[in-house]
Amino acid sequence: MTAELLLQTLASGVLIGLIYALVAIGLTMIFGVMDVVNFAHGEFLMLGMYSSFWLFSLYALDPLLTLPLTVLMLFAFGTLLYRLVIRRIINAPMLSQIFTTFGIMILLRGVAQFLWKPDFRTIENSAVSGSVQWLGLQLGRPQLVAGVGAIAVTAAVYLFLHRTRVGAALEATAADKEAARLMGIDSNRMFSLAWGIGAACAGAAGGLLSTFFPIFPDVGATFILLAFVVVNLGGFGSVTGAFWAGILVGVIEVVGGLLLGPQYKTAIVLVLFLGVLMFRPQGLMGKA
Amino acid sequence: MKLFSKRGVAAVLAGMGIAVAAQAQQEIKIGVIYPLTGSSAAVGAELRSAVELAADIVNNGAKGIQELPFADGKGMPNLKGAKIKLVFADHQASPQVGATEAERLITQEKVVALIGAYNSPVTATASQVAERAGIPFLNAESSSASLTQRGFKWFFRTTPHDDLFVHNQFEFLKELEAKKGIKPGAIATFNENGLWGTETTKLQAKLAPEFKYNIVKQISYSSKTTQLTSEVQSLKAVNPNVVMQSSYAPDAILSMKTYKELGFSPDMVLANNAGFTDTGLIKTLGKDAEYVITREVWALDLAERNPLIKQVNDLFHSRYNINFTGNSSRAFTGFMVLADAINRAGSTQPEAIRKALTETKILGDQLIMPWKGVKFDETGQNTQGRGILVQIVDGQYHTIWPFNMASRDVIWPMPKWDQRK
Amino acid sequence: MNQTINASAGLAALAALAALALPAMADASHLNLAILVLMAAQLGVAWNIVGGYAGQISLGHAAFFGLGGYVSTLLLAKLGWSPWIGMPLGGLAAALLSLGFGWSCFRLKGHYFAMATIAAAELVQIFFTEWDYGGGAVGLYVPMDRQGWLWMNFATKQPYYWLALALLLATLAANLWIERSFLGYYLRAIKDEPDAARSVGVDIARYKQVALSISAFFTAMGGSLYAQKELYIDPGSVLGTALSIKMALVSILGGVGTLLGPVVGAVVLTSVEEFTRILFGGTGRGTDTIIYASLIIAIAVFYPSGVLGWLHSRLRRRAVPQAAVAPAPQGEAP
Repeated sequence: MTAELLLQTLASGVLIGLIYALVAIGLTMIFGVMDVVNFAHGEFLMLGMYSSFWLFSLYALDPLLTLPLTVLMLFAFGTLLYRLVIRRIINAPMLSQIFTTFGIMILLRGVAQFLWKPDFRTIENSAVSGSVQWLGLQLGRPQLVAGVGAIAVTAAVYLFLHRTRVGAALEATAADKEAARLMGIDSNRMFSLAWGIGAACAGAAGGLLSTFFPIFPDVGATFILLAFVVVNLGGFGSVTGAFWAGILVGVIEVVGGLLLGPQYKTAIVLVLFLGVLMFRPQGLMGKA
Repeated sequence: MKLFSKRGVAAVLAGMGIAVAAQAQQEIKIGVIYPLTGSSAAVGAELRSAVELAADIVNNGAKGIQELPFADGKGMPNLKGAKIKLVFADHQASPQVGATEAERLITQEKVVALIGAYNSPVTATASQVAERAGIPFLNAESSSASLTQRGFKWFFRTTPHDDLFVHNQFEFLKELEAKKGIKPGAIATFNENGLWGTETTKLQAKLAPEFKYNIVKQISYSSKTTQLTSEVQSLKAVNPNVVMQSSYAPDAILSMKTYKELGFSPDMVLANNAGFTDTGLIKTLGKDAEYVITREVWALDLAERNPLIKQVNDLFHSRYNINFTGNSSRAFTGFMVLADAINRAGSTQPEAIRKALTETKILGDQLIMPWKGVKFDETGQNTQGRGILVQIVDGQYHTIWPFNMASRDVIWPMPKWDQRK
Repeated sequence: MNQTINASAGLAALAALAALALPAMADASHLNLAILVLMAAQLGVAWNIVGGYAGQISLGHAAFFGLGGYVSTLLLAKLGWSPWIGMPLGGLAAALLSLGFGWSCFRLKGHYFAMATIAAAELVQIFFTEWDYGGGAVGLYVPMDRQGWLWMNFATKQPYYWLALALLLATLAANLWIERSFLGYYLRAIKDEPDAARSVGVDIARYKQVALSISAFFTAMGGSLYAQKELYIDPGSVLGTALSIKMALVSILGGVGTLLGPVVGAVVLTSVEEFTRILFGGTGRGTDTIIYASLIIAIAVFYPSGVLGWLHSRLRRRAVPQAAVAPAPQGEAP
């Protein structure tokens, strides 16, 4: 167990953790603003990946270039989904909410398979292929760019929430829906916005991932559990919490896998999840 | 024409006669259970195409491919030209659904035999239904050795299983030493931790000492991982010369990319089919896939030595725009073996078909597989199959072992990443 | 009102008759479908004990199902014990496991509880995947050499039908007993007014645990039956989260917290699954998945009280005009 080995592992943990963070930010926002657990969140990621892929295959446009377009499309899709379906279950019993998002998850996977077949796809030779050497560490360029991208998007979301009026309205709705409504904030609009941003963040993560990760209809399943763990660790509803927790989960997963064996990576993450739920359910920075 | 005139009656009788004659050309229903949706659906589609082609050849012939049985396409000769009708079912990679579909195909569709199911757990349950119902079940692609260790009477498997495949890998290494003077060195195994990978891991641990090889580390990873960096780090840390790897497609790609990223250059990656022979691998990795050796069951360049293979592959390609793969070629072969047995049985009675299957004796030159032939032992396993080894060179799979079937010489070791063009 | 009761009794009698006559009339594949329905219903009823009555949405019940299957199969394959012993032992093992689940999860509310159960069940699945003695990822085969009632292993479908029916009835009976007992009273209180219940001194945690343990016990027995029927189990097929979801879904479809809701839900769900797969499965496009998912969404959004809830509201609408306008032969048109 050399220092170099550990450092290299830490670096890759941080990089993948940033992706987890980006996925989780959307999820935590949705939960924070409207108390709905979105089981279909991984599918926003999947759609973001496919968006990147098709723009690349059909029009030879680099994923980094098309990232803004992917984000916009996913924002629109998230908003549409809210207007069509989620809006109806805002006040429904929790069981309904769980199963609605669960049904959407299965539906989106089925539609993806229907439209694009189950074969996996990859984006090869995009603008960010190859790896770089830095401080004796070997880092994949797509992963680095993805990490930087995740930081950028997180920063943008943070600024939006804390420096704009709309963002403040969103935070207010998350803090106290009724009080916000009394102040003239339209909750329905806020929910729709939260859902759109949530989808957009996951879509951005998908776009960034598409440069180095295989794309297939069920790819959301690989990330959704980790996203939940991150949201939980960071604190449901806290964007900053999700950011730091994402990095932490990435590192724990990777280092844990190195020390205990890769087949236990998921188990380590799950134990962490249960531990946080049991002993500190509000997470690092969340509201209880 | 009055209905009861002489001519009218004659016409009616003639009509009935034609109808009766048409009945004599009966349909032979065969149930096909494959994963047509879900994660294995891409393979399922290939398998389906292969079986469709085989049935079509039996029913309608294959012009110019004389060596292939049934090539004149008049249906089953010993069953008065009866034609095959395929009934497809999707098992969605669920053992219970597979069993349910088997049940339905047997009782409702009244199939005379079943063929399937690719995924070993589904083959396990679906064939168990067939066993209970007394219907022959032909398995052409599932590799779990345990499937023929159940003492079943109605289960027949044409493909070799994991035990033999791992044997092939070690035999190759031994011959490499003996005939080319190349010593493999330290071996590490890097396998996914599902049913297939786990069985392979155990087999490798068992067989290595028998072949006098030393396994320095066995790593089991989950195929549903987001990245393989720490896994490859562990591998790098033990510095093996040879990595024996069993991966599915996404993790095969991910692992190769990670090897390159982390500068991990073993002498050889000795892969085990599945992901490394997926049609997307070379397309995705491009030059980075070069020099990988993988165990396979079939290769396109076998056609150079065996014109039958070329002809049938051309036919397949002309219809489906893809070449055969190890999976589809086995499905095709399995179906042909079943059709041969039904024909020899001369009947659609399950017991007759079963008996005919036990008496199967097909020679290698009638097959599109690199096998000695097809002959089932008392557990229902074909003992004359074998795997081959191929190496990726210039973006193609080339057969490199057995040496007498090789189309080119093996390149060993793999050039290091920074030394490749 | 009397007409509603008579209608229900009549329906029940009809159902009972059909259930008893089915094995004689149906062919193997239809009988198999009926068995699938019975097994799905049994799992739904078992889940309902804790999910519907106690209001604790568990999405990790597959852990109990799989554990039951593994315990009875291991006892059979390794020690030669009959599944008649293995089944209840599996149930007990699951009840024990549920103590662990309860301890770690019951403090949590709502979504958190559901997510914790998912995580706990996934851990159980990982354990069985890595546990060599239990077969690991390769799974376990139930030996086929011993057949007959002693070994719960049959060549025909009929005995499995009777077993599945018996298990369902037993689970229903347990559910009914709970409903009518003081336990049911406390559970309703815990579900509807937890704070009030606590203030009156009801030990919430204890009763939730009892409900969970009973639920786990019956779920595990269902797992053993599955193993004896399919003769092969592996972590993927008996411990997966998708299976947990299905157990909850069956109740939701039919009507959470009602006695027969899961039974109705099982009929609907199994029928939809089978028909969409038979009609569309062969094409491989995934159309059946889309239909299945749309159904789930439609029920969750528009009919959260499930089929039974919908039926009850319909019947109530019909009954009221009848009572108010006595001799009118027809109520409003449905």
